[in-house]
Amino acid sequence: MKRIPAYVWLLAPALLFVAAMALFPLLYSLVLSFREWKLAQSDVPGQWVGLDNYWYLLTDDPELMESLWATLIFVGFDVALTVLAALCAALLLQKPSRMSTFTRILLILPFVMSPALIGISFRFFLNPEFGILQFLLSLVIPALDGRIWLADRWLSMTAVITSDIWHWAPYMTLVILGGLASIPKETQEAAQIDGASHWQVFKDVTFPQLKPVLGIVLVLKTVFALKAFDTIFTLSNGGPGTSTQTLAYFVYHTAFHYYDLGYAAAAAYLLTALLMICSFFYLRLIFKK
Amino acid sequence: MTSTSIPIPGYQPTLENRLWTFVQQALILLLISSIILPIFWMTITAFKWPRDVYSLNSAIWFEPTLTNMVTVFQHPWNLGNKILNSIAVASGAVALAIPMATLAAYAFSRYEFRLKKTIFLTVIASQFLPGAVVVLPYFLMFKKLGLLDTRTALILINLSIVLPYAIWMIKGFIDAVPIEIEESALVDGAPRWRVLAEIVVPAAIPGIITAAIFSFTLTWNEFLFALILSKQDALTLPIGLIGFRTDRGDLWELMAAGGILITTPMFILSLLVHRQFIGSLTAGSVR
Repeated sequence: MKRIPAYVWLLAPALLFVAAMALFPLLYSLVLSFREWKLAQSDVPGQWVGLDNYWYLLTDDPELMESLWATLIFVGFDVALTVLAALCAALLLQKPSRMSTFTRILLILPFVMSPALIGISFRFFLNPEFGILQFLLSLVIPALDGRIWLADRWLSMTAVITSDIWHWAPYMTLVILGGLASIPKETQEAAQIDGASHWQVFKDVTFPQLKPVLGIVLVLKTVFALKAFDTIFTLSNGGPGTSTQTLAYFVYHTAFHYYDLGYAAAAAYLLTALLMICSFFYLRLIFKK
Repeated sequence: MTSTSIPIPGYQPTLENRLWTFVQQALILLLISSIILPIFWMTITAFKWPRDVYSLNSAIWFEPTLTNMVTVFQHPWNLGNKILNSIAVASGAVALAIPMATLAAYAFSRYEFRLKKTIFLTVIASQFLPGAVVVLPYFLMFKKLGLLDTRTALILINLSIVLPYAIWMIKGFIDAVPIEIEESALVDGAPRWRVLAEIVVPAAIPGIITAAIFSFTLTWNEFLFALILSKQDALTLPIGLIGFRTDRGDLWELMAAGGILITTPMFILSLLVHRQFIGSLTAGSVR
């Protein structure tokens, strides 16, 4: 018998475990998505229904359509604003100084904070009677005075997006700072000596060299936005109505509130498909290097 | 003349330049305060009497109290149990993850084999699966195994979540260890496991510690699986927090006290390794 190479033994424990824990649920939900199983009525999976779950999902479920819409708005604004904020912050902190070093260390804090707690905190800050953020904001924007954030679909969405930005933008700033550090300083200095303005240096020298890192940050944030659950759960609970119910929340809600397991599995597969597309772009970005 | 930011000897900063520097510093201060203020506000809330929480009149000047910190440990909140569960689950997952990840990271770093890159990226990509997709099958599986509401179930799930990240991070650190020492030891006839245990691991230990702390943080904050898979005995701290949402309304001062308990250990751990933490986070995603 051929000797098994050493790397197989080294890899086996970790890879077998990850494969088992990832493949089992994927295959299981795939099978489940072709069956009917309402947990409230039966403790065992019901009959096979073929593609019915998917068919109903895509043609006849207004709640799913609303959820897709909410997902689109949440992911779109969340990703764009997070990356933009992180890019601005990174450019501000690029020049080494004591203040910049201090701020970089500070940037770790939101990232290691529990997202569930962040959601709860924003809920507290936005309370109409004694929320400090609601109070400060209505000083700046009088139109917000007396508004109940979580009872308004757009304000609620804004709150959910803001809390997610607060959690993620600091981390993304650190990633972009890593990218900025790898750009040779000479190129920027040469442009400055040639008389280029700050904006021109950024647009023509820094930005093109930063593109690969920005691409990775963009796709990575999209993945995490599609996965977002904790802050939505603790901040808005998907509400008011279904206005902040993203697809991840929809899957959870269908499975653990409606107990419609087959249907939830089908919705989960829809989300998986979206994630697969994103992962594909992510892997391509990395492979290109 | 256009503005420039490199210091040139004898160069007088123009008004425009000084203004620009001022704006930059003001923006950095804004950034700092937007991070610190929410944390500060949550912290002082934990030491307020309810009457001061529910009114903005005594927002800053209030009579501090430790009552909330004591209350959260009492019935019915019992955060003490939840802290123990959180510590057990996070330590369990990290204790299993780090040795497994170190072995795998070493293989990815030092061996050449077919499909290496594909396998590596697939492992990373497994973390792109949203929890909402996999939680239902896990729920049914652990129900069948009789493991619902146990620490074991949570340790297994969190292990599968942190393993890919840990492999990724530790591989980065092992890649940076010069291979020459290992090679000369191997030439001298030292067996692989001794090279790994006595040369590679000590050299990569900062990275291994960083990966351990990162994994601990992820597990400590994990919410969705703990929410679905535990009910009473295996509840963790983040789930304890939503217990303060009661029929009588949200008990903010208790949530804030719980928030301090869940946050402080993570702040201390991450600040201890902040340099490696920043380094590996930034390098990891670009590599």
